[in-house]
Amino acid sequence: MTSTQRQPTQSQPAQGQPTQSRVQDAAQRSVGTASPRIEAWDKVTGRAPYAVDHPVPGAAYAWVVQSTVARGVVVDVDTSRALAEDGVLGVLWHGNAQRLESVGDPELMVLQSARIAYRGQVVAVVVATSPEAARAGADLVRVREDGMTSDTVLRIDHPALYQPVQVNAGYPARSAIGDVDAGLAAAAVRVDATYRTPAEHHCAMEPHATTAFWERGCLVVFDGTQASTAVSETLAGLFELPPQSVRVINEHVGGGFGSKGGPKPNVVLAAMAARLVGRPVKLALTRQQLFAVAGYRTPTIQRVRLGAATNGRLLAIGHDAVSQTSQLSEFVEQSAVLSRHMYAAPNRLTTHRVVALDVPTPVWMRAPGECPGSFALESAIDELASAGNWDPVRLRIDNEPAVHPEEQIPFSSRHLVQCLQEGAERFGWTDASGRVVRDPRPAVRRDGEWLVGTGVAASTYPSLTWPSTALARATADQRFDVEVNAADIGTGARTVLRQIAADALDVPIAYVEITVGDSAIGPATVAGGSMGTASWGWAVTKACRLLRERIERDHGGRVPTGGVAVRADTTLEIRDRPEFSRHAYGAQFCQARVSTMTGEVRVDRLLGVFAAGRIVNPTTARSQFIGGMTMGLSGALLERSVLDSRTGDFVTGDLAAYHVAVSADVPRIEVAWLDEQDPHLNPMGVKGIGEIGIVGTAAAVANAVHHATGIRVRDLPIGLAQMIGKLH
Amino acid sequence: MEFLRPSTWDEALAAKAEHPDAVPIAGGTDVMVELNFDRRRPPALLDLTRVASLADWAADGDRLRIGAGVTYRRIIDELGGRLPGLAMAARTVGSPQIRNRGTVGGNLGSASPAGDAHPPLLATGAEVEIGSVRGVRTVAVADFFQGPKRSVLAPDELIAAFLVPAATGPQQFAKVGTRNAMVIAVCSFALALDPQRRTIGTGIGSAGPTPLRATEAEALAAELPWEGKTLPDTIVQRFGELVGAAARPIDDVRGSAAYRRHALAVLGGRTLRWAWEEHRCA
Ligand SMILES: Cc1cc2nc3c(=O)[nH]c(=O)nc-3n(C[C@H](O)[C@H](O)[C@H](O)COP(=O)(O)OP(=O)(O)OC[C@H]3O[C@@H](n4cnc5c(N)ncnc54)[C@H](O)[C@@H]3O)c2cc1C
Repeated sequence: MTSTQRQPTQSQPAQGQPTQSRVQDAAQRSVGTASPRIEAWDKVTGRAPYAVDHPVPGAAYAWVVQSTVARGVVVDVDTSRALAEDGVLGVLWHGNAQRLESVGDPELMVLQSARIAYRGQVVAVVVATSPEAARAGADLVRVREDGMTSDTVLRIDHPALYQPVQVNAGYPARSAIGDVDAGLAAAAVRVDATYRTPAEHHCAMEPHATTAFWERGCLVVFDGTQASTAVSETLAGLFELPPQSVRVINEHVGGGFGSKGGPKPNVVLAAMAARLVGRPVKLALTRQQLFAVAGYRTPTIQRVRLGAATNGRLLAIGHDAVSQTSQLSEFVEQSAVLSRHMYAAPNRLTTHRVVALDVPTPVWMRAPGECPGSFALESAIDELASAGNWDPVRLRIDNEPAVHPEEQIPFSSRHLVQCLQEGAERFGWTDASGRVVRDPRPAVRRDGEWLVGTGVAASTYPSLTWPSTALARATADQRFDVEVNAADIGTGARTVLRQIAADALDVPIAYVEITVGDSAIGPATVAGGSMGTASWGWAVTKACRLLRERIERDHGGRVPTGGVAVRADTTLEIRDRPEFSRHAYGAQFCQARVSTMTGEVRVDRLLGVFAAGRIVNPTTARSQFIGGMTMGLSGALLERSVLDSRTGDFVTGDLAAYHVAVSADVPRIEVAWLDEQDPHLNPMGVKGIGEIGIVGTAAAVANAVHHATGIRVRDLPIGLAQMIGKLH
Repeated sequence: MEFLRPSTWDEALAAKAEHPDAVPIAGGTDVMVELNFDRRRPPALLDLTRVASLADWAADGDRLRIGAGVTYRRIIDELGGRLPGLAMAARTVGSPQIRNRGTVGGNLGSASPAGDAHPPLLATGAEVEIGSVRGVRTVAVADFFQGPKRSVLAPDELIAAFLVPAATGPQQFAKVGTRNAMVIAVCSFALALDPQRRTIGTGIGSAGPTPLRATEAEALAAELPWEGKTLPDTIVQRFGELVGAAARPIDDVRGSAAYRRHALAVLGGRTLRWAWEEHRCA
């Protein structure tokens, strides 16, 4: 990650009279204590300001105009009627928009050319004195488009599929060890199946939204983003400003799930619009607009081949993943990457291919790669268990690798087996002695009109840590201000960072004030990749420990009147970490039922057991796991973005048509975690927990549906249509 | 856009007569969506929420007269005992927020084939009371719907109330959706048993251009063992089949026509069995 250092906010040099008392030590540790989110009251009472809630005097409002063809050019934009509308201050389009400097992401080069690369791409922006006037103006903008034949459908045999150099998160696109075909040929039991996952949209509560204004050459924006450091650096690049002239504030963010992981067109457009009209501009995309502009999870087609010997040991694992990207940017979902380390096997092959279509640009969505990939791999393992008559829990345990099976490096810690065992017992899959009591036969358990079954799947997610900076300041009245540019997207980040800070300072939590969500604090990494707590927490720990040391060493344990401040940067520590394969693991169990009369699929019960390092706050952690599993369940049963192949338009473009699970769809969800100690991660011993909960859920549900009915669903979501006509 | 705010029923009728193209707005849970999606740009809105009489209900002999502005929440809380079928349907509408705002009058006004209040109103033989400066007329719910989102309302007319008999026997409502709440029905079915008169009332939702009755299924009432005996499976099955056959469904994004027929047959049989159980135990 490149980062531009800001001037640290210096506190006054220590001087004046020492205060009376020494800094008081904490009586107990904060980390590990269950506590609700600090901002919970502000959120539920509506006091927490989101990106366009900040009162800025004289604000104008922007409304986007979107392309109506999937591929083509803008021939002409007639703005005259819009400009004549009451309240309209200006209209931006490629003919009059200011030139931007490229920063490498063509998606952000908004209004720079006549080219249309997908339907819904922004082709003009209207700025007016009210949102209503802006919207009315947008209706009056006449855009003449020249549409060309478009290619919008992902197919496994698409002639333009290619193998990229890298896939998302920097992994190589292909990995090969041994000879998969030979391994399959030698196997006694084989699976060769193709799985499909649909396009999905994030649907965070807060839309992508920005308030932007220019002040003496400096650009200030409130942006609903997971990464205000990255947004400020990008804006500085696009507008050719010195880095310190851009400030991005994201104090509260109403969810993101990856769609706000980097700058999106809204923030660039708002800044351009604010410059155009010379006043602050607020731009909030509507729910419908988000479906084209804010990213989505690519559909995937994945072929998994497994071969096992008579004893259930895998001889070969093959996982070939196909996904789509847009004509603007290459984003390659790393769906097969988890198959590189989940199970041992001497012969292995993983490949990724992608095709650039005339579609909106896909992006990270909660557990990119692992989420769709686990549906394929963990369904295939279940198919193998059925084919070989093995217990699916046992089969996974029997194929546990001792070291990373492709890189041959040790795991920093790996407790997948323990998660499976613990989960199996809690779920009633095994008895207290570990004996399997689940009847493996499919389609034999009836409860009235319902067929009932259980399924299991394994979960995993990488434990990443990226460099960040943090600032810790002590004041003479024994208060501590800790600042780190974390983004709290509803996860509880600021709450756990405060706990981490209190422990690193060794003071009671009440003495610590935490500030997040402002690029002016200094560079810090994205709230993504489940790496926030690890990355920001390390910087916070370092800053706090240094501060405490300095108070002891330089000031005899007393904070001088002027206070003391320390800034820390973890770049070197992270660079110098020894090589380990670092991942969190988990096991998910599901009981599902299918009506033989209507084909309805209902989930009765979900259990997730995770080994994810130290859990800083059981309250917020439980919510993360449950939230992930709920989203996984939603993906298993409901979520699907339907793209009209003729128009390139997501026709399920609102929450009435794009169904996410509602409370009434979500059954009893139980979550447990192991007390996992891992000394090779970071000073707190934490792994990420934001994404692993969604990994494996869909497979656990599909496997349970198979156990219930004998019907194998390889195409998400699992719906009525796949059941009717096949049930007996 | 003009915003008209009558405070009495007479003012409302006068306003509608003067502005026939004004769109009435009650809970707004349909109207506001249409405005927001730019599906409709009426020159005027006629806000009915200040007309107190629309939010009243009262017993009128053995019938109930329920103002068009009574919300789903109040149907559930205040009328659940007397109109169990309608209350069951009301419980499946949207979310608590929608049930707090949305009204049966608005459901009728929208005349969507998927409106959840319609099947129970059909099954109980309800009537719609329609007013205008020209006078009052009453139309059977079965005749009220003219097609998808079309009703018999003339441009100067407003829905005043609906008239519905208090339940004289078990009532049921069942709805299939792609999720468990906040969902437009793939299909729905309402049933009302009247053990005294030995009749079955039916209403089918979301499986035709208008809400429908299953008349042939209703005729099976003559064959039911009303004297408290168990219901033969053959009758249950025939009933279901006739309900499925009465539907006039189409394929759309929510479900196929074949699935709707199949599901309605299931819902028909199932609701009859449930209602019969209640009748036998009563
Ligand atoms: C999130 C959401 C979920 C929903 N879920 C469901 C559901 O599960 N089931 C369901 O059936 N519906 C559902 N709806 C649709 C809607 O809530 C219902 O149709 C509701 O009954 C409308 O009532 P209202 O009072 O809000 O009507 P309004 O929106 O105020 O009006 C609806 C129509 O009726 C007309 N109208 C209103 N009152 C009168 C009157 N007195 N005389 C003449 N015309 C009148 C209006 O002009 C308009 O055409 C949902 C809507 C939303 C937004």
